[in-house]
Amino acid sequence: MPRYIRRSSYPLAIEDPQLAEKAYGSWADAIILDFTRRADRDWQQDLKSRMPAAIHDAARGGAEVFVRINSGAAAAELESTIFSGITGIVLRGVPGAEDIQKASQCLDALEQDRGIVGGSLEIDVEIDTAAGVWRSLEIARASPRFGTFWANEQVLCKNLGMSSDPVLEFEPLEYIKSQLITVATSVGGQAQGMSYPLSLTQEDTGEDELRKAVRRARDTGFKGAVCPHASWIKACNEGFRPSPEETAHYVKVIEVFAEGLKRGMASVPMDGKMIDVPVDLRAKLYLEWARRAQARDEEKARAHGKPAA
Amino acid sequence: MILPAHDADEAMGYREFKPDVAVLDLEYSVPPKHKEGARASIESLVRKIGGSGTAVFVRVDRETRWADVRAAMFRGINGILFPGPEEPAEVAELDDLITALERERGVDPGTTEIVLMLESANGYWDAASLAEASPRVSGVGVGRIDLTMRLGPVPEGEFRLYRFLMTRTLVVARMLDKQPLGAFWRPGSRGGVASRESTARAASEARLMGFTGCICATPEQVAPVNQGFTA
Repeated sequence: MPRYIRRSSYPLAIEDPQLAEKAYGSWADAIILDFTRRADRDWQQDLKSRMPAAIHDAARGGAEVFVRINSGAAAAELESTIFSGITGIVLRGVPGAEDIQKASQCLDALEQDRGIVGGSLEIDVEIDTAAGVWRSLEIARASPRFGTFWANEQVLCKNLGMSSDPVLEFEPLEYIKSQLITVATSVGGQAQGMSYPLSLTQEDTGEDELRKAVRRARDTGFKGAVCPHASWIKACNEGFRPSPEETAHYVKVIEVFAEGLKRGMASVPMDGKMIDVPVDLRAKLYLEWARRAQARDEEKARAHGKPAA
Repeated sequence: MILPAHDADEAMGYREFKPDVAVLDLEYSVPPKHKEGARASIESLVRKIGGSGTAVFVRVDRETRWADVRAAMFRGINGILFPGPEEPAEVAELDDLITALERERGVDPGTTEIVLMLESANGYWDAASLAEASPRVSGVGVGRIDLTMRLGPVPEGEFRLYRFLMTRTLVVARMLDKQPLGAFWRPGSRGGVASRESTARAASEARLMGFTGCICATPEQVAPVNQGFTA
């Protein structure tokens, strides 16, 4: 069961004059705000003056709003970007747990100063270095604010000296992705990611291919993906959750198993398969996941002034 | 390129194959009855090859590494290949021994590298601690023969455990700025029995995975390995 229904995260630049329209029209579960430090002016003042409006614009379609921060300059960047309306930060270039602890301390102070509920701001971590991979467990355990891992595969490949072209017949980052999913889940968080080779090509691909890739990613253990193109978002929103067919199947599983229990049976046949306690439990988890995803869709639909699909 | 240290003629044959590094072996390519003789003759090989401009490493036997390092440390040596390290203390101890021998034998202080070939579950799990145990560690590699014997997978089909261990080695090496060594040998065609084609493929795939070199078990592997590790 995912901790967050955050199936699609869409990065947008606060300098983008169409930020509001793109965020609103994207239907992404989350918007990640990126910024550029302006060399020709006081970048901190510049950011401070822009961020409240950018956060408002990004959130208008019901998305959670994150800001992407460079770990090496986190204190100054956090000071300039954290305002009410932010859900959390995405920290990149994290070499170890100490950076998470420092960022968390900064957030403690900023929450107090800026009227944000104490401890509410989340820290997500973009894994883009070998050190981040190796120390992923320390990183995830460094703060209760930790929420999700996301492997920025193209940057990570470069750091590892690995080809970022998907020329190998196997997925070279398979074990790293497995590790991130396991570690994040072990601390109650989750991981975002896409399946190979789309994870590396980041292509604006056709819908069929995209849906298959999302399904593979979901079945690997990812609970959402960072979407380089707006065209990915719909497939991610629909794919990183139980499908309507699965939902219908699990409704039936629960009904059939409940009937069996009434008759004193511990396992019950259904459509040529045996249903027992673990299957019933999984059915209940999937239905709860589907219910929460539906609730999230309704929340976003209300923000758009529309009924949920 | 692995060269048996007990057979000077064969060892000097490296010149024909032009490896980047000549690895004088005191481990598996030396029969037990020739170990003492190999140790006795390795000084002249180190001096000869070292003087020719080719980098010289000596692969020691884990069980006799102290005697092997003592035998190998002479001017001309570039490094020690340490197979199967298990504990950081073993690496630190080797560093101390090398430091003492550099001083004693007139080798430039601090210049002798250590390359760790990981060959056990402990080694892979503690790879970062092992690599950080000495500033001399310049490379971390994927060992193979002992690895399969110790971890017990049957190297058939896709042999996924090997890719997991390669990934772990690569991550540690890149994190600590060491050279990642290894090739993606396929089951049934690897090490000393690998064909030229499968060797080139193993090296090429390893390069795409982020590795930058590997150990050649036979002279014939040098050319395809160099080819595979060249973009």
